[in-house]
Amino acid sequence: MLLKLVGSIFVIFAGSYLGFSIAKRYIKRPNNLRQVLSCIVSLKSYINYTVMPLSDSLMNCAMGANREVTNFFTTTADLLKNNYLLLPQEAIQRSLILHKNKLSLTNEDCEVLLLFGSHLGEMDREEQQKYLTMIQKRLEILEGEATVLRDKNSKMYRYLGVCGSLMVVLLLL
Amino acid sequence: MIHILKKIERDIYPYLPFQITQLLQQVDEAALKNIIEIRLRTNRPLQLVLPNGSYAVQEHGKLSSDFQKGYICSEVDVTHTIQAMSKNSFYALEQELRMGYITLEGGHRVGIAGQAILNDGKLKAIKNISSMNIRISREVKNCAEPILSYLIDHHTRIFNTLIIAPPRCGKTTLLRDIVRSLGSGKINFSSVQVGVVDERSEITACKNGIPTLDIGDSVDVLDGCPKSTGILMLIRSMAPDVIVTDELGREEDVIALSEALHAGVSVITSVHGDCIENVRNRPYVKQLIEEKYFDRYVVLTDRPGIGTVREIISVKDETVLFSRKNDKGASLCC
Repeated sequence: MLLKLVGSIFVIFAGSYLGFSIAKRYIKRPNNLRQVLSCIVSLKSYINYTVMPLSDSLMNCAMGANREVTNFFTTTADLLKNNYLLLPQEAIQRSLILHKNKLSLTNEDCEVLLLFGSHLGEMDREEQQKYLTMIQKRLEILEGEATVLRDKNSKMYRYLGVCGSLMVVLLLL
Repeated sequence: MIHILKKIERDIYPYLPFQITQLLQQVDEAALKNIIEIRLRTNRPLQLVLPNGSYAVQEHGKLSSDFQKGYICSEVDVTHTIQAMSKNSFYALEQELRMGYITLEGGHRVGIAGQAILNDGKLKAIKNISSMNIRISREVKNCAEPILSYLIDHHTRIFNTLIIAPPRCGKTTLLRDIVRSLGSGKINFSSVQVGVVDERSEITACKNGIPTLDIGDSVDVLDGCPKSTGILMLIRSMAPDVIVTDELGREEDVIALSEALHAGVSVITSVHGDCIENVRNRPYVKQLIEEKYFDRYVVLTDRPGIGTVREIISVKDETVLFSRKNDKGASLCC
């Protein structure tokens, strides 16, 4: 009996944990996308007004963002600073490999971030602004979708985790 | 003084593609010490310009005058190099790129050529860059020492001086050492305040506005600022005794310079040309020559060696103070 009780508690905890962690990903994604968006807005200012080199701009624009987003931008900046021959897109790709899971981003989000890196730093200020505005708009659409998904799925996965595990326990008992 | 090979390794190699760096590392050290330029052109051979001519670089760093056998630069080589030199920040070098050059840390100027984009008839940008000329900057300390006495009026003032020379004759190297000598009080002047308008960051090789070369203690540098604006700014804000700037040419430069000359500030500057007659035919600059704004002309040549002083002329009394014709074999500078 004791074994059954311990097993049931374990199943409930495991199921709830799974549900909560999936829900957490849904909650984190729009939050991180919003943070990335604000970093890009800040990057636009660093490029347009202070005319800082890209690596410094990337480093500075992430100040004030949450840890995951800051790490993503600072890793990209460090990679560019340490190897002049590395292209921004390659640096973003390497940084995404390191931080993708922690950022809770989908493949579609990563594609937009890679697109963000594809022409970064190779245009004049005016064109760079236009390009970053385009990326900003795409990220805003993704953020909107992510918010809808968060509202729809986060509660559902939490309940599903708890209720599913309870159902498994009942079935097993 | 940093050895030129170390300087190349520190300032140039990090921007060059691996294959090119590897080839250059294998080039004979004696040749590399005298290097003047490294030229990269898309689909054409990599060239090293030495005092005795241009050479292609073959396998194992062997230099050859047969360009067909040399390493051929690919489009990727050139685009990656320019991308790296701009530190992936073309937007930060908009103005420089429009003028056809960027300057690396260490004061090395990189000339570029490619496809021009025009907007309302004016050059907006250069895209598809296909040629690059990396000019190696040198710091030759005390190279100005032999001519300094010609530039000073009985220890009371510094003469307004125009250095005249074609490209690759050591104008900037000489100017740099003049700045250092004046700024470090080497002459018997008490507290000469030197202002440098370093439009291309070549004279003082500034990084984040701070000079990376030894330029003396009494020198203020306005880095990356157009001469026309910078000269007037320095006069108003820093009260210099002498203003040093490089490569006159535009109308606005000449206007600013004549203002400085009338404001009681001495000016030492340079202009492209191989003799005074040539410079006299240049638009804008000819006005300064005709109206005898300067006190001294220093004419440089690259024969027999870069930085050789051909003539020093006193303008007001029209006398030749020094001439290589009179003083055979004397090479004063660099």
